[in-house]
Amino acid sequence: MNKDIILSLAEELNFTLSEGEVENIVNEFHSLQDLLSLLETIDTEGVSEMVYPFESPLLTLRDDEVTHELSQSQALSNAHKVKEGYVSVPKVVK
Amino acid sequence: MNVNEAINRLKEIQSTTNACVTIIEHDVKTHEGVLSDVPIALKDNVITKGILTTGGSKLLSNYIPPYNATIVDKIKQAGGIIVAKTTLDELGMGGTGTASFNGPVKNPFDLTRQAGGSSSGSAVVVAAKAVDIAIGSDTGDSVRKPASYVGVVGTKPTYGRISRYGIIPYASSLDHVGYFTSDVRLAALMCDVLSGQDKMDHTSLPYPSTTLAPQLHDDVKGKVYGIFKEVLEAIDHPQTLKNFDAVCKALESKGAIIKTISMNETILRTCLPTYYIIANCEATANHSNLTGVNFGLTQEGEDVETIMTNTRTHGFGPLIRKRFVIGSYGLKDENQDKLFRKAQKVRRVIVNEFNRMLSECDGLIAPATTSTAPLLEGANMNVLSNAHLIAENYMVLANFSGAPSITVPIMPVDGLPHGINLTCKIEDEATMFQLALAIETCVKEGL
Amino acid sequence: MKRDVVIGIEIHCELKTNSKMFSASRNSINDTPNIHVNEIDLGHPGVLPTLNKRAVELTLRACMLTHCEIDSLIKFDRKNYYYSDLPKGFQITQQFHPIGKNGLIEFEVDQQRKQVRLDRIHMEEDTAKQYHLEDETHIDYNRAGVPLIEIVSKPDMSSAKEAKEYVSTLRNMLIFAEVTDGKMEEGSLRCDINISLKEADSVQFGTKVEIKNLNSLNNIEKAIEAEILRQNQLLDAGEKVLMQTRRYDETLKTTVAMRSKESAVDYRYFPEPNLRPIQLEQAWIDSIQASLPKTPQQWLEHLIELGATVIEANILINNKSLLDFFIEASKEVKDVRLALNWTITEVTSLVNIMQEKLFEMVSSHHFALFLNCISDKVISGKQAKDVLKWMSESGKDAQTLVNEHGLVMVSDDTALLNWIDEAIQENPQSILDFKQGKDRAVGFLVGQVMKKSKGQADPARCNALVRARLLEQ
Repeated sequence: MNKDIILSLAEELNFTLSEGEVENIVNEFHSLQDLLSLLETIDTEGVSEMVYPFESPLLTLRDDEVTHELSQSQALSNAHKVKEGYVSVPKVVK
Repeated sequence: MNVNEAINRLKEIQSTTNACVTIIEHDVKTHEGVLSDVPIALKDNVITKGILTTGGSKLLSNYIPPYNATIVDKIKQAGGIIVAKTTLDELGMGGTGTASFNGPVKNPFDLTRQAGGSSSGSAVVVAAKAVDIAIGSDTGDSVRKPASYVGVVGTKPTYGRISRYGIIPYASSLDHVGYFTSDVRLAALMCDVLSGQDKMDHTSLPYPSTTLAPQLHDDVKGKVYGIFKEVLEAIDHPQTLKNFDAVCKALESKGAIIKTISMNETILRTCLPTYYIIANCEATANHSNLTGVNFGLTQEGEDVETIMTNTRTHGFGPLIRKRFVIGSYGLKDENQDKLFRKAQKVRRVIVNEFNRMLSECDGLIAPATTSTAPLLEGANMNVLSNAHLIAENYMVLANFSGAPSITVPIMPVDGLPHGINLTCKIEDEATMFQLALAIETCVKEGL
Repeated sequence: MKRDVVIGIEIHCELKTNSKMFSASRNSINDTPNIHVNEIDLGHPGVLPTLNKRAVELTLRACMLTHCEIDSLIKFDRKNYYYSDLPKGFQITQQFHPIGKNGLIEFEVDQQRKQVRLDRIHMEEDTAKQYHLEDETHIDYNRAGVPLIEIVSKPDMSSAKEAKEYVSTLRNMLIFAEVTDGKMEEGSLRCDINISLKEADSVQFGTKVEIKNLNSLNNIEKAIEAEILRQNQLLDAGEKVLMQTRRYDETLKTTVAMRSKESAVDYRYFPEPNLRPIQLEQAWIDSIQASLPKTPQQWLEHLIELGATVIEANILINNKSLLDFFIEASKEVKDVRLALNWTITEVTSLVNIMQEKLFEMVSSHHFALFLNCISDKVISGKQAKDVLKWMSESGKDAQTLVNEHGLVMVSDDTALLNWIDEAIQENPQSILDFKQGKDRAVGFLVGQVMKKSKGQADPARCNALVRARLLEQ
């Protein structure tokens, strides 16, 4: 983990970090390394990932009915810029 | 107390504790039920239709949701009245209560100290006796630890017991809706009110609401409770241990059987890093919707990418951005095997070992925290010590496994509140509340 | 040296459900923007997905029709990336455990049987729709969350024609199974073509080019042909084919590079924590298999049994609405062959002009009654053409229109013979022509009678009587 990796991660995450913040993260990651290395003390050969706290599969599915819609004004009420019923953003280059 | 009293008290404590983001004076009762006219506070990651919901983040400081969380509908159907949205660490990611966009929350018993986090404000409003019930959320211990620091009951039921629909997420596989109450009876009642399968939440337990309150009793004769050996050994605070011992003796005098149970220490020490990776990775993905495109505190930009970047830079605090960098790193395709998937595998090892230990008793007991609330600046602890890894972070076991867990305040330590944590088997809230009530009764009767 | 063409196709197909894949708002292409959305579709904080049962059922149909191995344990994953049309910042899809694998599609190209293997079929959700104006982009979330299946073929196709037939066959199969309405122009079925050229004796595959946004079968064929030409020209000139995404430009009749992708995106796939794996019951799966709607092939055979020729049957199975229209009508008509004729000719012409609107104006019931009017000789074939046109314009039934227009068919021999004798008298040359074996004399005289009767004479009866009369001369 170094400055370049952090900057590229921030770019992928769509935010910027100040110089100070980047340095802070680099430093913290070094101390984090010790903590994360504890994971290596556990043998996980043949162990599958635990994605959910409970693993019994579900049996139910949602019936295909239209039961929940917002009005157009409710749907758009939090958008910064609205035009003619659409959310408006600067032109997206294809 | 009634709604007016609650609102007045909330206003009274606001300037000192900063417990609230919004105090709500216009909500009215819409139904009659077990919570009729009862004022209730909600952590500000609970979505309330038409009422500002910030998640503790500047990015959502203008967000007025168009829908209600399922638990809000349930509270309203039971007759409850919402009086506040409380302060939390930004997006639920923190354990100090000092990381909200609207400033730190202070412990009402000592304003130089934290209230813990992330459900800091909700803990405080109950502790300061503004309300008897406040909803929070618990991903690593975010209800159960603040409960200990401010001396109230903090409950985290079984995973899926209470619907997560309308709860701004932190880590979906670890998030639980929890709550603070002034006593155990109320905690059992709240479980009945809030629980029940929700068709909007496919991870909710497939059962109707619980009926725990009417059956609640504190007869613990013959019950076997396990003292968590490694946690006790990692605590070096004499008063904490003395109080804990007194509670165990009191339980024994009521007919309970106390034994010592133990979990592999190497495995136990991996709880924190496992939590750190899983939580940050899931959170990073969960919050990819916070871009300002169709909601949020949108910043200007000449193209969409710039709008997103400016919105997220301006809207997220530095702590959150740091967490996201780490989370994103752990999810990178080339890193997942070593980090995210490794952590998920270790989770399974931890949960298997934890369940094995729990199978030896009806419930597990240990002090919720080493001692009392740290100072606002934070405590200085060796990160790799058992004191930190085990004593301060073991409660996440109940998030990994989904087991129901509760913090009950017991005798103060150094004049400040302190609590004991109980964890029972999955879906066994009945035993959990029973033990909690017994302890509460013992403490009230004087030990 | 002729190079081998290697083509693989990815199809995204919108499912014909009432509600969306993970939320209960309406699945509808509606002109008014943002009226079929809820907070889940908008990706608001705190929302959770719930899986649509019918979407699973329709996906299973697609898997069964293409003989896929079905995984009855449904699992979902997150595909993470940022884009203005992706409200959650991730798409819920099935990366690691697709519901269907290793399928097969068979079809004919130039009378040769061709097989294309399917790699996978999986479920996912559609993105919002964006409209690009001059300075702004407008986002409509009606489409956000619409159920999609992605069908990925193996690179088994080797010509533009094969690709077109593959898509056409698969599309029709899915339309008939009510999985999708398959309207490519509206975007409910979208194709991405992956194409590369390989030196004939090499094992090394060439560089893959992706062609996106093809919105018609014809464009698929044209785009591929243009791209094969382009790649061959590049390679012949010793240049490299670049790995890129291209689109087909209808005016230029070539493929054009779209904004090139930067280095491959890392989607950071991981299992969706908010959707536990769902175990489908075998009994349910079996019931879906047992109740699959008739496939186009099965309809073809059925139509031939009803008396259609192979060509006629093929016309019908390439337009499901037309087929449904005919089948419904055929249940009430006296003469199925007549119904076929009229469907294939006149109705098809009207459909070419009016498209689906025809079926709104003329119900299959009215069509059946109309045909029976012809069978009962209420109107002649010539008159019927006009009546059908009036039906398509007014929505009225045949009998009403016949009455309104005072149509009548004269089949009465006396009346007919009057006109016939007049016509023969006026055209004595026709007798000679007939005796010399010129059969057109009959047609000519019948035409004269039609004129005299203002189209009301029964042409068939007239024909018979004219012949008889001429024979008597």
